[in-house]
Amino acid sequence: MTNESFENAILEMRRGVIVMAVLSQLDKEQYGYSLINELKEHGLEIDQGTLYPLLRRLEGQGLLQSNWRIEADRPRRYYTLSDEGRILLPRLKEEWTGIVSMMENMLQEKEK
Amino acid sequence: MSTNLIDTYVSEVGRRLPRKTHTDIEAEIRSILQDMLEERSQKTGKPVDEEMTLDVLKEYGAPEKIAATYLGDRYLIGPRLYPIFMLVLRIVLMVTGILAAIGLGIALSQTLGHYPAKTIIKAIADFANTVMIALGNIVLIFAILEWALFRAGAKVDVKGLPKEKEWDPHSLTKVSAPNQVKMGDTIVEIVGCFAAIVIFNFYPQIIGFSPSLNSVIENGNWSSVTFVSLLSAAFFYYVPYLTLVWAATIILNIVLLRMGHWTILTRVFGTGLKVINILIAGAMLAGPSLIAAATPALISALGDADAARILMTMLTMGVHVALWLAIIGGSIDVIRMIYRTIEGSK
Repeated sequence: MTNESFENAILEMRRGVIVMAVLSQLDKEQYGYSLINELKEHGLEIDQGTLYPLLRRLEGQGLLQSNWRIEADRPRRYYTLSDEGRILLPRLKEEWTGIVSMMENMLQEKEK
Repeated sequence: MSTNLIDTYVSEVGRRLPRKTHTDIEAEIRSILQDMLEERSQKTGKPVDEEMTLDVLKEYGAPEKIAATYLGDRYLIGPRLYPIFMLVLRIVLMVTGILAAIGLGIALSQTLGHYPAKTIIKAIADFANTVMIALGNIVLIFAILEWALFRAGAKVDVKGLPKEKEWDPHSLTKVSAPNQVKMGDTIVEIVGCFAAIVIFNFYPQIIGFSPSLNSVIENGNWSSVTFVSLLSAAFFYYVPYLTLVWAATIILNIVLLRMGHWTILTRVFGTGLKVINILIAGAMLAGPSLIAAATPALISALGDADAARILMTMLTMGVHVALWLAIIGGSIDVIRMIYRTIEGSK
């Protein structure tokens, strides 16, 4: 039960950073499968059923743009940051830094 | 063979998705699966075969699960409409229960104490039947509203979750802005118009009088049961026009629910509908009686010509009062809506 609670908490934490992780990797064009592999290399494993609908949602919100390209006789959809996404990303990073330092302070205070 | 498997899988996902987006999502899933197969083939040094394709499909997930990830949360009746759904349901059940109790009282008085158990059992069966029909219709209306709201919400938020800005704190103090649509009133009006269309077009005999059901209870002969309509032919002349107005009112209310606020156009349209309602009520008042004359069938059903005449006179007076109230209430609404339209255009 403890393990399950721990895993759920980790899952929730990771879910919170998925959007920023995805945006951070899309400053250059990537297709879905290459993105999932790149995130995995960085240590963030995302379920495919989570990533692809998320990419579509972010595109719908105007943060990403995509285009189909034919490569090796088959189409691939490439995603990259839109202009709006490029403006948003540095602000998100700034916010993230703030959250990390806030949490560090909070946890250190508890340890004292 | 592996291509066939992918085609089948992709179309299985696609048939669970909305028509507008399924082609695009299908193309994307096909491309992802091909990437996965390509990588697996390179890793293992084997060509893509059926077994490898099956493995990849298993890893990717069941079609219904994948389709669900693209659809977001869907409800037949979601949290936004549920409280109003319960309110309408309670009102309808209460009214149906009261009508059933009145009907049972009349039936018991007509049977004069004979076969009370059978009369009560029949009343309970009728009540259960009416409740089921009412429940089905209410759920249907709310499911359509939920769908319409989801479609409206999907334009701004794919997940369909309510956004904070959509919530108006006025709802806490019950002081609503004049242009804000009152969801409860709107839904009650939709349900009312829908019920009116169904009753007057498909079950007009409900607004009627059924002679004693003794013959059914005594010998099981249903063919002897007839309904004596209380409404005259003159009333049914107005039904097509009323149906159009009710249908237009339902459409207006659905539009209002989707927009969340009144605009000049919807106010003008709403005012037009109110004016048409007043004109129809005026025509009904000036025209021939909407209540059928005391026919031999009704006299025989009540067993007394005087009783039938008194009943018809009372009903005619009741209809006149209702029509006058509709005209006065409608006129007040029209004046209010014109005032708000002018205020809104400033």
